[in-house]
Amino acid sequence: MSLEKATAIVLRVVHWSESSYVLTLFTRELGKISAVAKGARRPKGPFDAALDLLALCKVVFVRKTSGALDVLTEAKLVRCFRVRALGLGALNAGYYVAELLNELTDEYDPHPVLFDVAEAALLRLGGAAASAVATAAGAIAPAAEVLRFELLALRELGYLPTLEECVECGRPVAADGRVAFGLLSGGVLCRDCRPGKRQVVSLSRQSWQTLVAFARPDEAWRQTPLSREVRGEVRGAMGQFIAGIIGHEPQVAAYLER
Amino acid sequence: MASESVARLIEQLTKLPGIGKKSAERLAYHILRVHENEALGLADAIRDVKQNVCYCKTCFNLSEGETCAICGDATRDRQLLCVVEQPRDLIGLEETGAYKGLYHVLLGRIAPLEGIGPEQLTIDALVERVRAATVQGGGFREIIMATNPTVEGDGTALYISNLLADIPVQITRLARGITTGSVLEFANKEVLTDALSGRQKF
Ligand SMILES: [Zn+2]
Ligand SMILES: [Zn+2]
Repeated sequence: MSLEKATAIVLRVVHWSESSYVLTLFTRELGKISAVAKGARRPKGPFDAALDLLALCKVVFVRKTSGALDVLTEAKLVRCFRVRALGLGALNAGYYVAELLNELTDEYDPHPVLFDVAEAALLRLGGAAASAVATAAGAIAPAAEVLRFELLALRELGYLPTLEECVECGRPVAADGRVAFGLLSGGVLCRDCRPGKRQVVSLSRQSWQTLVAFARPDEAWRQTPLSREVRGEVRGAMGQFIAGIIGHEPQVAAYLER
Repeated sequence: MASESVARLIEQLTKLPGIGKKSAERLAYHILRVHENEALGLADAIRDVKQNVCYCKTCFNLSEGETCAICGDATRDRQLLCVVEQPRDLIGLEETGAYKGLYHVLLGRIAPLEGIGPEQLTIDALVERVRAATVQGGGFREIIMATNPTVEGDGTALYISNLLADIPVQITRLARGITTGSVLEFANKEVLTDALSGRQKF
């Protein structure tokens, strides 16, 4: 049993009793944790207004051993998620970020880079300045945020599909026509490696190039437009690919812009 | 354990929210000790509430008939509609005595992370109700979104106001910000931002 301090994003809030919550938090320092916050539903207490979904907060908690829930003793709100800043599309994108963090990471397995990526995405989607940014030039669409976050999360966790060359043989994929994305193979397939593979999604050339641009660590994604057709195709492929990792379609996927 | 009946009672009590095994045992032995009339009074009250109480067909408040007491009250302002998540929120607002309009109870909030979508709530009925009132004349002049001031509550209110966008009605939401009796100096920055943007005429 030890006292820990951490910066956290609130991933889930479950009403536990008349006055308590059980929370799932993704902390920068320690990874995902589950903690009970006793008395958090009462108006005054050590938890401020910090314990709402997608909020960024500073927390203090008692780490329990032997599988018991950790106990949150303090939470200070750093930034709440503002629902009306960019509308429902942004809110659902925010929910999706939370679901992926929860499904793709394990308790006490920290990924500070992933935390920073998620925090930045939530800031753009629901920070106080988001509505100002939305009307300014170069605003980021929720669909682009989602795709960027998915690919960076997969990269950070070691699940990133091979996109730039054939995952089987390393040769370039065909420069014309559609591109085969092997869900089980974990990347795109050239014409020679394609036959006989199961669970292969066919992508338009444009969709494939979009995936490549969004997966690069640099800022190429910001210059890559997400047309309606590309969005639909890419959503389908990413949904199936992630389902293959976590064992089911993400719940929030149905709410995302297609 | 003393008897099968007692064990069954304890098992049932344990299912109540906030009641653990120890509390359930305490309650069970209390019920064993009290007069038969008192104990059966509790049993009858539980049976009555399950058999007589249903949702009002107009507003989905708890009701003992097709229409609840508030919808049936001719003295209430029928152009004012307040949207809440749960019947207990309605009770809270009623206790203030400050609101004299009608209600609509959603019976929950949209919570995609919990697998709760808009189709599981009474949102369709709400939109239909507002539309029908507008078509028949005598529509609502204001709809107050009184969902909880949480991400999910706000999201639910936003979803509903998008659906009502083409209906000529003013949509408002409850004020939020600094707690009465607190001090500005110690108020959270985010809460202060809310209070500033929601300021009103003096
Ligand atoms: Zn190949
Ligand atoms: Zn009613």
